[in-house]
Amino acid sequence: MHAGKRQLTVPAQVLARDGSPSVSTVEIDRPPAPEEPPRRSRLGMRQERLRTPLLLSLPAMVLLAVMLAYPLYRMFMLSLQDMKLRHLISGLAPPFVGLANYTKILDDPVFWEVVRRTALFTTTAVVISVLTGIAIALLMQRVSTGVRIAMVTSMMFVWAMPQLVSAQTFKWMVDADFGVLNWLIDLIPGVDFAKHSWFADPMQGWVVITSLVVWGAIPFLAITMYAGLSQVPRELTEAARIDGANAWQVFRNVTLPILRPLIVIVTTLSIIWDFQVFTQIWVLRDSKPENEYVTLALYSYIQAFGRSNYSLGAAIAVITVLFMLGVMAFYVRQMFKIGDAD
Amino acid sequence: MVSTDLRAFGQTKQITRAPRATTAGRSRTGTAIANTVGVIFTIIMAFPVYWVINTAFKPANEVLSFTPHFVPQNITLDNFRSAVNAPNFLLDMRNSIIVTCGAVAGALVVGFLAALAIARFRFYGRRALIMVILLVQLVPFIALLIPLYLMLNSVQLTNSLLGVSVTYLVLILPYTVWTLRGFIHNVPRELDEAALVDGCSRWQTFTRVILPLTGPGLVATSIYGFIQAWNEFLIIYTFNSPENQNLMAWLLQNQTLRGTNWGPLMAGAVITSLPVVIFFMMIQKNIAAGLTAGAVKG
Repeated sequence: MHAGKRQLTVPAQVLARDGSPSVSTVEIDRPPAPEEPPRRSRLGMRQERLRTPLLLSLPAMVLLAVMLAYPLYRMFMLSLQDMKLRHLISGLAPPFVGLANYTKILDDPVFWEVVRRTALFTTTAVVISVLTGIAIALLMQRVSTGVRIAMVTSMMFVWAMPQLVSAQTFKWMVDADFGVLNWLIDLIPGVDFAKHSWFADPMQGWVVITSLVVWGAIPFLAITMYAGLSQVPRELTEAARIDGANAWQVFRNVTLPILRPLIVIVTTLSIIWDFQVFTQIWVLRDSKPENEYVTLALYSYIQAFGRSNYSLGAAIAVITVLFMLGVMAFYVRQMFKIGDAD
Repeated sequence: MVSTDLRAFGQTKQITRAPRATTAGRSRTGTAIANTVGVIFTIIMAFPVYWVINTAFKPANEVLSFTPHFVPQNITLDNFRSAVNAPNFLLDMRNSIIVTCGAVAGALVVGFLAALAIARFRFYGRRALIMVILLVQLVPFIALLIPLYLMLNSVQLTNSLLGVSVTYLVLILPYTVWTLRGFIHNVPRELDEAALVDGCSRWQTFTRVILPLTGPGLVATSIYGFIQAWNEFLIIYTFNSPENQNLMAWLLQNQTLRGTNWGPLMAGAVITSLPVVIFFMMIQKNIAAGLTAGAVKG
């Protein structure tokens, strides 16, 4: 990205550091001449040191506790109750039903169908997007500067586009009557794609959804991987070359091991994101997805807000969180390693 | 002197580079093939983006034509006009601005204080706070939607911009704290100490040293928050009635309610995306770095 980098913003950290000498000398050379500060006792200082950070973080802690931690607890409690629309309107406490919601869900073949579909989609989308991301990053190293700038620019626009807008764009492109895709495919001799509906056959519909998700994910993956590739010391790849390694061997034995931590992180993130896929399907299926297009997130949402089965929706959400816990724990562990490093 | 230095640097670089081309066996045809693939990739990536803009500027008869026009024959602003004049568009735009700015301002103030505590103090509960901040970013959003709806409903804050603003604030808060922590961390602690020794109070140290030095970080973080809040639609779409929506939800409803009027819809999409795209271009480097911080070098 050497060429591309120049048009991108300078990291703010660098700016802050560059700015530091001037500001610090100016401000500190002229202190605001206060009256002699009262000398605090050692105990007082210590108390202040203890109190200040707590006071500073109090608003954030309260907000996170009220608006994130409590809702999580509430969701769990809700999943053990039977809350319906009438409780919402009347304000009456919903009855406690224990694990009834869970047994109902786990006994339901539809639920397992949804789980299978979500897992299949996540695997497909993650594998395709990560592999494509690596391939594009390698390609970016190989092409001429002009082409690389074109690649980076196009990816930046894709990345910047709001998810909802890109989903609507895809919906427009695969439109049965006036969509540009049907027209293009129809150009192939002997193929009749006029008025072809892409969502009549779920298999084709999922191809569209997966393409949209992969298309949207590639910029982040490719650009991150490309940045990672530029960290691979040139001496290492050159040494391998001189020792007679071919391109694949250099990639397999030199580049890949160095890139591995980065690949692990972006793959984990991709799994977390794709497992929760919602917007793309919601938009492509006109806010009322057919059964064949329902994933776990949509299933929970439809139960809660479509059918006012708030408790059932909450139980599905709890199960979804449990499914993702392993992947999340792994990600947090990685982030902690980084957090502890500084 | 600087220029000669640079020239010398450039030369050494060239010298080290020259033999590499041969050892790597990079043939001219190889580069040509790579360039071709790169160009095809660029076209595939860019085409949907182009198609939005293309559709937005086309007159209705060209939008609904069985043979698509790859270049608009008669460029027109009609679609933009009908989008802006469509019911609720301007109202929803106003809502978008209010909700987004409110959430970003709130998150910035609350987040900066917490980031200061995490970056500058060792205190009881610090690790727990970091843990919470990292963890909540991973909680499936859909899981929070149901309890948040019930909670806001019980205090009459559904169908209000305030309820949505606060929800957005909390959603962008973890990221805000985490990135600002990094920016504050990069201000050398010695500067604070020097200011304290020179007689500044803690508050003065904050306003005269830390705040000016983290300025660019604050800008980048608030832009990121802006993008998140501006792009959100599910919360406001679920919590509020149809006349209390934001621009994103407007796009969604406009699609579902009356068939699809693709021209004005794409024009609306262009207007809605424009601030986000501009802001994104300004800070894209921070976004990429923030998500995978230290994964390679760390």
